[in-house]
Amino acid sequence: MPAVTGGDGRPAAAETPEGVDADGEDRPVVLVVDDEEMTTEAVALWLGDRYEVLTASSGEAALETLDERVDVVLLDRHMPGLSGSETLARIRERETDVRVAMLTAVDPEPGVAAMPFDDYLVKPVDDESLHDTVERLHRLADYDETVGELYAVAQKRAVLEAEHAPEALSSSEEYRDLVETHERLRADTREAAAGMDWSGFERLVGDL
Amino acid sequence: MSSPNAPRDAGSELAPADIAAGEFLDRAFFRSLVDNGSDAILSINEDSEILYANRATERVFGYGPEALIGEPLTTIMPERFHDDHHAAVAAYLRTDERTLDWSDVQLPARHASGEEIQLDITFEEHRYEGERVFSGIMRDVTERVERTRQLERQTEQLEEFAGVVSHDLRDPLQAAKGGLAVARERASGDVVDTLDEVDAKLDRMNELIEDVLELAKRGRAIDEPERVSLRSVAEAAWESVGTDAATLAFADPPGTVAADGERLRAMLENLLGNAVAHGATSPPSQARADAAGDGGPAVRVAVGGLDDGDGFYVADDGPGFDGVDADRLFEHGYSGSESGTGFGLSIVESIASAHGWTVTATEGVDGGARFEVSGVCRQ
Repeated sequence: MPAVTGGDGRPAAAETPEGVDADGEDRPVVLVVDDEEMTTEAVALWLGDRYEVLTASSGEAALETLDERVDVVLLDRHMPGLSGSETLARIRERETDVRVAMLTAVDPEPGVAAMPFDDYLVKPVDDESLHDTVERLHRLADYDETVGELYAVAQKRAVLEAEHAPEALSSSEEYRDLVETHERLRADTREAAAGMDWSGFERLVGDL
Repeated sequence: MSSPNAPRDAGSELAPADIAAGEFLDRAFFRSLVDNGSDAILSINEDSEILYANRATERVFGYGPEALIGEPLTTIMPERFHDDHHAAVAAYLRTDERTLDWSDVQLPARHASGEEIQLDITFEEHRYEGERVFSGIMRDVTERVERTRQLERQTEQLEEFAGVVSHDLRDPLQAAKGGLAVARERASGDVVDTLDEVDAKLDRMNELIEDVLELAKRGRAIDEPERVSLRSVAEAAWESVGTDAATLAFADPPGTVAADGERLRAMLENLLGNAVAHGATSPPSQARADAAGDGGPAVRVAVGGLDDGDGFYVADDGPGFDGVDADRLFEHGYSGSESGTGFGLSIVESIASAHGWTVTATEGVDGGARFEVSGVCRQ
């Protein structure tokens, strides 16, 4: 199958070089990392309408491609070479506030509570769920860092609670820490948001 | 102190129980009963010295009564338990407080061959000639214990296997859906329809993967049941399976049930998902036609308690079990519709039986499908 992407690190949408769309406006940049080329291609196709999509077929390639232009990373967990969690750890070592969503075939085990991702998607995903996730992650950039943290912690807690029984989770130290952090951040955010009327903020964190 | 194995004067030491059992049963009868029983019986004194052993000890431990009487009990005890045993006996003699259950305790013992065996033991205490005597009635359950362990291992392996296979299938499935989306973008005419059909098949494969994962958990023992609110578990299940074309209502206060919350949710997801799917894909019932008149909810699903307080039900107002083979409902792979994987009710039943519950399919008051889960301790 002929590739629609330019391969590792190059813009997927060739007609919009440098991430500039027809109106000449900067589009948010998404980097999708997966060793399955068909998966990265499809993500590029699905998200290509609103984002500039870069692709990488390995953790190593992702680290080379990642720069300050990238807003959101979609990261596979099981890849030959550098794994998703190792790649994530190296991304976090850098001074960047890029948002990272895991995009993986693996159900989240309680231990992921300690992994520094912002969101977790279990394959297979479709066009719509990808758009929802990437849009939410991108919008986080408009808010205080506490909100970003709150979002990540709330998502983590939600995916874990959907997957495991409360008894199984309560024996996980990582999970207990997560719940504690969540409660603290919730209180902090409420304090920060007191007296403000941000409808967008409400939409974003209302359920967190 | 003389051993109780030594011959004694009949009649002089009869316990009240002997007398109550009937005059015609003499001491020889009881001696023979104890000696020839299939359970091994050992009695020890306060110093853990063996006073009495019946013949069954030969079969269970590889030591006959002759080899055991007068020896320390630790002869038949794995070394790692020696210290604990002495400490426990000393503590008991001092305080009269038992440190372990005396009835049906499972403990390992050491066979003459050096092999460890698993025993089910019941302890007794009585006085004999002014001394405290402790007896254990012991059954060899080694085979049963090993069989149970083997089954647990197999169940774990099955679950692990299903997990690995399912997860490994999701990656290529994502790739296939991706490739399909890319191809569809460039296709036209009939090809698009064909690709959409392929996409539907891929979705069905994904449903199967999820069901197989859930089914693999069925052999797993349920977690310690705790009191959960049926309503809140049902609402959580509804979040993942409910659609805009269906409503969920609670009839009678459903109350709380003692259950493994995660498994109960999986069970309700299947029952509720069924109600939604089968109600929606079948000819509309009167109720649904009314409701659908304004484009509103089509299927109404209700969860409530059974009248006798023995469980709960999930009912819908769809067309019921029309044309569905009721006997085969709970079979693996049997589906009443084109879209089902046929695993749903099988999952429901296995989760129910893991809890000791029974599921039955009946017709609801308005002709819809109604599943009753009974044997549930509901409050």
